[in-house]
Amino acid sequence: MENKLPITRLTKFFSEDDYLLHIQMGQEYLHGDLNMKVVLYQVDRTITDTDDVYGEVGKDQIKYKLPIEINCLVQIVQAENKSYKTGLLRYLEPGNMILSVYIKTIEDLGVDIKFGDYIGYADSEKRIRFYNVINDGKINADNKHHHFGYKPSYRTIICSPVQENEFRGV
Amino acid sequence: MTLPKKNNINVYRQVGTEPSSKELVPRRQELLDRITKSDTYLPDEILHDDLDMGMLEFVKNNLKVVSDGEQIPIIPKILTVQRWNEITNNWTFADEDGNMKVPFIGIIRKPDVQPGTNPNIQRTIPDRRQIYYSTVKTWNGNMEGADVYKMPQPVAVDISFEIIIVCQKFRDLNKFNKIVLQKFSSRQSYTTVKGHYIPIILDRISDNSPIDALENRRFYLQSYDFTMLGFLIDAEEFEIKPAISRMMLMYEFMDTKNYTKKYTNRTIEVTTASFIANGEQVTFNVGESIGFLFFVAINGLVQQRDIDFYWITGTPRITFVTAPVAGSNITILYYAGKSNVFQDSYGRLLFLSTQYFVYDGSSLIFTVDHEISDIIYVETNGLVEEDGDGYTWNGNQITYLYEPIIGSRIGVVYLR
Repeated sequence: MENKLPITRLTKFFSEDDYLLHIQMGQEYLHGDLNMKVVLYQVDRTITDTDDVYGEVGKDQIKYKLPIEINCLVQIVQAENKSYKTGLLRYLEPGNMILSVYIKTIEDLGVDIKFGDYIGYADSEKRIRFYNVINDGKINADNKHHHFGYKPSYRTIICSPVQENEFRGV
Repeated sequence: MTLPKKNNINVYRQVGTEPSSKELVPRRQELLDRITKSDTYLPDEILHDDLDMGMLEFVKNNLKVVSDGEQIPIIPKILTVQRWNEITNNWTFADEDGNMKVPFIGIIRKPDVQPGTNPNIQRTIPDRRQIYYSTVKTWNGNMEGADVYKMPQPVAVDISFEIIIVCQKFRDLNKFNKIVLQKFSSRQSYTTVKGHYIPIILDRISDNSPIDALENRRFYLQSYDFTMLGFLIDAEEFEIKPAISRMMLMYEFMDTKNYTKKYTNRTIEVTTASFIANGEQVTFNVGESIGFLFFVAINGLVQQRDIDFYWITGTPRITFVTAPVAGSNITILYYAGKSNVFQDSYGRLLFLSTQYFVYDGSSLIFTVDHEISDIIYVETNGLVEEDGDGYTWNGNQITYLYEPIIGSRIGVVYLR
């Protein structure tokens, strides 16, 4: 049974009802007006057959749960020219994808976003790019993620692009 | 069945047995053939790009790693900054964004090529002296000769390569590492560049995986540093000089007859020496031994030996009985051999003979002592007759076609 620890901060000015109202208004804007969606591929760590020594998996061997669409605010960093070896082996990939997701949205869907999960985001009608969660944003006790100091309202999830030999949604 | 108690493989050839076809001379010939350019007798040139290609071939053939059932692609070009974009756009193993698909193996050549440290070819011959390589027969359609091929000592160079593997699995790193270490278990391995064995040395293995960048794409990157102990052979420095081109020998084998016919192409040098008489000089010296004297003429009139002039066989001097008139043109036609014997094209000996007659009116047929092989000239009182016009010949007979003045002196010079 979950412990319930009532939050009594700001009770004179702000209550749980106010909080929920704000979240609801935010979701209305995010889900209704913006309607930005990503697809979450939660890696099923139970049935994915990993290497005994290094915990690695073969190509297309990652098993994941049923993909779920999640509404969130999507920000993709501009692509940057990089090189594998100083000045050589250049590559130009999309920058990291930064997602802002209401905690309530995740809870309503009954899912969690963890390190190593994959996120798909449709660049265009023809192409979906995949990203790997490299910061699941679970530690969100900072002021930025607190709603008026009442309690955290959203998570910032940072994802890095992956190549299709690592994950391609199959 | 019992196992043999001793190893029955004979690694040493028994005394008295013939060497196999792969030993000694045949093997050396095989090695020579490998380095020899197909259309010359000289070795193929080896320049920087050939050595680079040798490294590429070595990696492609020897450092194959299989990951997830597929061979990890090896970028089939030497990587440079300038050409990278072109490679990624043309290469099969690029994704839709034009980026290389991980994993892959690449070969980077460091631009600076250093003086070589290969002990076999460094600092042994000072300067760039041309060294004898081989003598090659030549044939220009008429003459057989030989050319001497020379080349300077190859220039030793050290070329540094970096083989990198970019992958996302530790197991792929292990596989690649195992293959490299097995291949270089004795520190060096060899590649073949145009038939030459070129050593490659493993210098260092280092890891360049981006472990600090936590919020970027993760991959492993390991570098294997190699030094190729190569050498340069520049065809521009080859030198070919003709050696002997004086004589040709050709052997013709006749199937039906069991003998050999030898053809000798020899030039018989007949010399004409001309002098202008000063009215006092009686002896004229041609400066070399006269083997056979064809004729001596004063103003076109052939002179008779022992009557008009004297000549001792083998000497270079012609001595007239009386000094020719001043301003006379004296012509001496002679062969400067040691005797009056020639060889024809088939090696048969030919003798030059001179015979004189005095026409007494009895017959226009003059018979010489030997069968005539060919007429050099026939003269009447010093005036040369034309064959077919002044005379004809057959066998050992000269037949005049007109009647000279009785008492005319007739000289015949012929080959027999």
